Amino acid sequence: MASITTEEESKLLIVLPGDQLPESGLMEDSSAAHRLTLGPGLAPMDDDSITAVKAGILKHNAVGNRWWVESNQRRYVAAQGESIIGVVTGKSVEHYKVDIGASQPALLGVLAFEGATKRNKPNHNIGDLLYCRVSMANKDMEAELECMNPTTGKADGFGELKGGFVIKISLGLARRLLDPKNLVLRLLGQHIPFEMAVGTNGKVWVNSANAQHTILICNAIRNSEYLNSAECSAMVKSLVEKM
Amino acid sequence: MATPAFSFTPSTFQKLHPAEFFRRFTTEGVRPDGRLLDAFRPTTVHHGVISTANGSAMVRIGGTTVVCGVKAEVAEPKLDAPDQGYLVPNVELSPMCSSKFRPGPPSEQAQAVSEAINRVLKESKVLDLKDLCIEEGKAVWVLYVDAVCVAYDGNIFDAALAAIMAALKNVRIRKPTYQEGTIKVSGGSTATDENSFRLNLARAPLSATFAIFDTTLTILADPNVTEETISDGQISITLDETGQLCGVTKIGAASCSQSVMKDCVQSAKKRTLQLRGIMNQQ
Amino acid sequence: MSRLDRTRTSAHQLRPFFSSQNLLNRADGSAQFDFGESSVMCSVVGPAEVKLRDEKLDRATIEVVVRPLVGLPGIKDKAREQALRETLEPLVLSGLHPRTGIQIVVQTMKDDGSILATAFNATILALLDAGIPLKSILGAVTCIVDAETNQILLDPTTQELANAKSTHTFVFDNKSSITSDSTQEDKEAVEVSTLYSDSTGLFSEEEYFECAQICYKAVQAVHGFIRTAVQKKLEKEQQQIHS
Repeated sequence: MASITTEEESKLLIVLPGDQLPESGLMEDSSAAHRLTLGPGLAPMDDDSITAVKAGILKHNAVGNRWWVESNQRRYVAAQGESIIGVVTGKSVEHYKVDIGASQPALLGVLAFEGATKRNKPNHNIGDLLYCRVSMANKDMEAELECMNPTTGKADGFGELKGGFVIKISLGLARRLLDPKNLVLRLLGQHIPFEMAVGTNGKVWVNSANAQHTILICNAIRNSEYLNSAECSAMVKSLVEKM
Repeated sequence: MATPAFSFTPSTFQKLHPAEFFRRFTTEGVRPDGRLLDAFRPTTVHHGVISTANGSAMVRIGGTTVVCGVKAEVAEPKLDAPDQGYLVPNVELSPMCSSKFRPGPPSEQAQAVSEAINRVLKESKVLDLKDLCIEEGKAVWVLYVDAVCVAYDGNIFDAALAAIMAALKNVRIRKPTYQEGTIKVSGGSTATDENSFRLNLARAPLSATFAIFDTTLTILADPNVTEETISDGQISITLDETGQLCGVTKIGAASCSQSVMKDCVQSAKKRTLQLRGIMNQQ
Repeated sequence: MSRLDRTRTSAHQLRPFFSSQNLLNRADGSAQFDFGESSVMCSVVGPAEVKLRDEKLDRATIEVVVRPLVGLPGIKDKAREQALRETLEPLVLSGLHPRTGIQIVVQTMKDDGSILATAFNATILALLDAGIPLKSILGAVTCIVDAETNQILLDPTTQELANAKSTHTFVFDNKSSITSDSTQEDKEAVEVSTLYSDSTGLFSEEEYFECAQICYKAVQAVHGFIRTAVQKKLEKEQQQIHS
C-alpha cells in the first residue's frame, strides 16, 4: 500500500472499501506540505483514517497532493460541471423534467439556453434528447441543468440532439470514450464518418449517414469495454467486414 | 449573565435528538427509565391462563406481555417423518399490542422472531417428536403453539420464548383411544394423570436479549421499545438449564469483540437462572 | 478423519470458490458467488427512486428481498432478509444518498448448505459492482460441530448439516484483518470482532468462541478471493489504457 501509482506504471493499485490510505494520521499536521485533497472514492472515517469507500484503482496526483479512487458503476450520481445527455420526461411553466439516469429526474430551466428570453425560447417536447451541463448538484436535492456555457452564455454544443441513437454504457467506459486517443473510436472513424456525444452519465449518442452504420458503431462501442487493444482491433475489423 | 438562545424541556429534547438524549444517560451508567445498563425489567409468569387450550402461559417482561396457547390436534404425519409429530410455533405482533404494527400479513419482525424460535425448538431438540406419534404413518399429534403479544414494549424474543416454554410445560394432552380403526379423543371429564399425558421436555431454553447502542457499542440489557428504536443492533443468548448454549445471535451495529460477547453470555446465565426461578415458582 | 463430503480431506477446508460480476444488464450491480455446489445470485439497483412512505430524509433506504430456490418465500427467507439488511445498514454509507432507495434481491440458484453465508458474499460483490459506497467489505462462512465426532467442520454441505450438533454462521469485515506477518502463527488466538453471528443447536461457550476463531481465519480467504475477483475485473476494464 505504500507505493504510489501513476498512469505510466503497469501495476495498478487496487483498493477495496475498508483499505486505508498509507498517509493516514497526517491529518493532524496542518502544515501545507501534508495537506491532502480527497477526490471520489475516499472518505475520512471516525477513527481519523482515510479509507477507500469504493472498489477501484487508487490514483494520486502530486500537484496539490490529490488522491482519488477510479471506480466504475452504471448508476449516475449528479456532479456539478459534468456534461450529460438527458431525455425530457415532463414540462412545466418554469422547468423541464429531464431523466439523466440518476435517482431523481433533473430540472432544466426553460430559459437556460443561449439567448433565451420569455418571448423567444426553445420549445422542447417530451422524448427530446438534450446535451446539457449540470449547473447544480447536491445529494439532498434534484440536480439542475443548463444548455449553455455559464461563463460565456453561448450554446457551445449543448442543446437538442436530433436524430441518431442513444445507448447506455457504464460510467467508466464513457470516461474512456472522452479520451482523444481512444482506440475503438479512432478505428471506427477510419471506416465510417459519424458524429457522437458522450454524456458522463453513461449515455452515448451516435449519428451517422445511415441506420446500419449507427448500429454498428454502437455495438462496437459496447463490445469494447473489456477488450485489450489487439482484441479491439480484431472486433472492429470483423464488424466492418460484415458491413 | 446571558441566557442560552435555546433551552429545551427534557421531553422536547428527547423528541428532537433521541440518540443524544439517551447518550446523556448512558454515559452516567443509567437509562431514562431508571435502570442500570445491565438490569432486566421485572418479570412475571402465570401458568394455565387459557382453560380451553391444552397448555398456556402468560409472561410479562416490563411492559411487554405475551400470552401463549398450545392446541393439540390429530393429523397425518409429514411424508418424510411418518413416526414423528410436529410443532407449529407462531409469534403474532398485531396492531393490538402497539400502533407500530399495521393490520395485514405478518411483519418482517414477527416472521423473523417466529423463525428464530422455531429453530431453537427444533435444533436444541426440546421435544422428542417421536413422543407425539399416535400410530405410525397414520396419525400424530400436531401442536399449534401461538404466542400472541398483547402489549409491546420491546424484547419480544425473550418474552415469546419464555411464554412458549412455560406453555409447553403446562400442556396436557388427552390419551387417545382406538375404536375400530378410528382414533377418539375424549373431551368430557377432567384431565387426570391417567387419561392424559404431559410433554416430556428434554430441556427448556430461555433467552436474554441485549441492545447495542451507539458507536461506543454500549450494551443495554432487555431493551424497551424506545431503546430498540434508537439502538443499532441486538445480541440474544439462549441457554438451557444445564448452562449449555442453545443459540447466540448478534445482528446489526458495528463489529463486536469477543469480550463483549463473553460479557453478554455471563449476564445471560444470571438472567436465565433468575427467570427459571420465576417460572418454577408458579 | 474423513468428512461426509468426500471432495474434502480436511475439517478446515473450504469448498472451491467461484464468482462472477456484472452478469445482469438491467441491474446497476450484480454478482454470483458459489461455495462448491451452493450458488447465490444477487442484484443491486440504486441509488434509485423510493416510495414516499419508505423515504428517509437523511439516508438511503435499503431493501432486501430473498427468493428461495423453490416455492414462495417463507419465514426463513424473511429472517434472512432481516439478517442481510441489518448487517448491511451500518456498512453502507447511506448518508451520501438521502431520499433514495437501494434494492437488493438475492436469489438462491443451487443449494448445498451454507446458503446464508453464500448470500452474504454474493451481496457484497454485487454492492461493489454497483459502486455503492461502503465503509468496508464483509466475508461470511458457516461451520458446524459434528454430532458424532465433535469436530468443527468448515463450510458444511447439506448432508453434513443434517449431522450437526450445532451450526454457526459468522460474518467479519476487513477492518481488523491479520497482517501478512502472522500467517505462520495460525495457532495464536486473535481478538476477533464479529459483524454478524448466528448459532443454533447445542454447544458450549468454548465451542462457540473456537468456531469464531476458525471462521475468522477462513474468512480471510474469502476476503482475498473478493479482492482477486475485483482486481481481475478492473484489470480487464483498464486494458486499453495500460496495454
